[in-house]
Amino acid sequence: MNNLDTLPKKKILSLFMTCGFPTLSQSKRIFNEMLSHQPDVIEFGLPFSDPMADGPIIQEANKLALNSNLSTQQSLNLIKELSKSKNNTSFVIMCYLNTVRKFGVDKFIKSIKNIVDGIIIVDLPFEEESEIKKALSKNNIHLIKLISPMTDKKRAQKLLKGSKGFIYYISATGITGSNKLDYKEINKNVKSLKKMSKIPVLVGFGIKSKKDVLEISKKTNADGVIIGSALIQKYFDLKMDINKYLMALKKLIKEVKV
Amino acid sequence: MKTYKQPNTVGRFGEFGGMYVSETLMPLLLNLDKSYKKIQKDKKFKKELNDLFKNYVGRPSSLHYAKNLSKYINGPKVYFKRDELNHTGAHKINNCLGQILLAKKMGKTRIIAETGAGQHGVATATVCALFGLPCYIYMGSKDIERQKPNVFRMKLLGATIIPVESGSKSLKDAMNEALRDWIKNVRDTFYIIGSTAGPHPYPKMVRDFQSVIGKEAREQILKVEKKLPDYLIACVGGGSNAMGLFYPFLNDKKVKIIGVEAAGRGAKTEETAATMTSGTPGILHGSYSYVLQDNDGQIKEAHSISAGLDYPGVGPEHSHLKDIKRVKYFGVTDKEALEAFQTCSKLEGIIPALEPSHALAYLIKAFKNKHKNKVVILNMCGRGDKDLFTAAKAIGFDADE
Repeated sequence: MNNLDTLPKKKILSLFMTCGFPTLSQSKRIFNEMLSHQPDVIEFGLPFSDPMADGPIIQEANKLALNSNLSTQQSLNLIKELSKSKNNTSFVIMCYLNTVRKFGVDKFIKSIKNIVDGIIIVDLPFEEESEIKKALSKNNIHLIKLISPMTDKKRAQKLLKGSKGFIYYISATGITGSNKLDYKEINKNVKSLKKMSKIPVLVGFGIKSKKDVLEISKKTNADGVIIGSALIQKYFDLKMDINKYLMALKKLIKEVKV
Repeated sequence: MKTYKQPNTVGRFGEFGGMYVSETLMPLLLNLDKSYKKIQKDKKFKKELNDLFKNYVGRPSSLHYAKNLSKYINGPKVYFKRDELNHTGAHKINNCLGQILLAKKMGKTRIIAETGAGQHGVATATVCALFGLPCYIYMGSKDIERQKPNVFRMKLLGATIIPVESGSKSLKDAMNEALRDWIKNVRDTFYIIGSTAGPHPYPKMVRDFQSVIGKEAREQILKVEKKLPDYLIACVGGGSNAMGLFYPFLNDKKVKIIGVEAAGRGAKTEETAATMTSGTPGILHGSYSYVLQDNDGQIKEAHSISAGLDYPGVGPEHSHLKDIKRVKYFGVTDKEALEAFQTCSKLEGIIPALEPSHALAYLIKAFKNKHKNKVVILNMCGRGDKDLFTAAKAIGFDADE
């Protein structure tokens, strides 16, 4: 059973959070809070020292997690522990290839089998994916594809052939946490993607508030949204007070669950 | 022997290299690769670049017989390939001219670059001034501090310097930020990478533009010595000056090739930049190559007195050349490099940059009283003006005012 195969048809909510941020024990409290809202998807970011496709907020979260000496194994243990109460929520790992390679591709996949439903390896392009994709699919883990506004139609068709789970459409030509949303362009591209594939299209990068979520739902054909940087930003806004942060997180998640 | 023909069409040097970037960059790199292939066949482009090399840079750079140093070493005949005489004081300009011509052909209107020592930043700012394009240079705040003369140069040339405060505040972090900028501004921006690192096609493209060094050196040495050199020596950070010298000689089996890395306080310490001596294969900045990393694949911070070598990765072609044993790589410490910096200045009247000072240190150490009747070409890839303050501080000379 893979939870990603039974995602709802519309208004899918995916929440991203960095593992081990700001510390391992606080991270557990944060993920438990997120999980208590039963979002459709939780994305677990594995911290990397050089997250070049992420913005400054997620980079800072990675840095805090790594400063507390978080290991890949600890992140995977955390995900495993949380999975006991995952219910219908899909678990997706978002990470960089070096983390997986260094851990050992086979060992990594073995560790997340039956726990994680999908994985986004940010810097693993289509051209390099075949080996890992095969190993993942053998273990019923979906390799989630990123599509950017720069991906042309022909390339998108190639990338999406046989893809499972959902399509992660990067809304702004930018890195996570950037602030320009062009609904017209999003709608045009999402429409075109939906013609190529039957799996849901989720829009991510730059979605910050209830207003953004509603606009995406109203003005575009997207099946759902991914929120990440905005969740983490609150921690820094609240001067790193974990108790205040957990309350703010609760409030924000309730708001974006439309 | 088999002719050396790397990389393959997807940017692999053996198992190294490749394009490990997010889908936001992938279409751009494929497009860049296509455009680069096209201009390689373009005669007008070649002519334009050669004219600039000759009249703007001052190429060919000379091949100087370093008589005094040779006598001091009491070993081989040492020649300096003097790319430090280029306009802007280092080899970096060769590549920048090639890439900005390409950027123009691709219709890009904004240039970004990363810089460590500031040589690549200065070279990029220079070509941007020449071609009238706005220029944004990402530079670690630690490097801004230790390379002040170059910061001023870039500003004079009209570039905007963007200080990078993340990570180790040096070259690696500047490259992260430049890549982020590129992702955000993909449509109008061309990213001039200064080294043979990064995702394909950069390692190949930068090598090709820099290989003018080796091509000239080959002709020049054949003219004066009537034979090929026995040894080539160059310093390796990301590896562009070294690839530039080495590449045209790779098929000459008899020519022994040595790359010298910065070992900081020692290759076995945590404070090193000797990627191939102390590192393991991994992925950094879009390419699979040797990197300094921990057991979890987190990239470590590098250390070197030379900002230009202070990088925890290395170009993938060097990793390949190491593994097929075509090139041997050695580490030289800060201290050894500083000594060579002074020795060369006194003996040859040439103040080398701290980067080639590493190559000089290895040459002096390993060839002392050995290899007589042999011929060595050392790539003098940069001049030391930019390092005067750093060196003075390290040597204990008060250079204020």
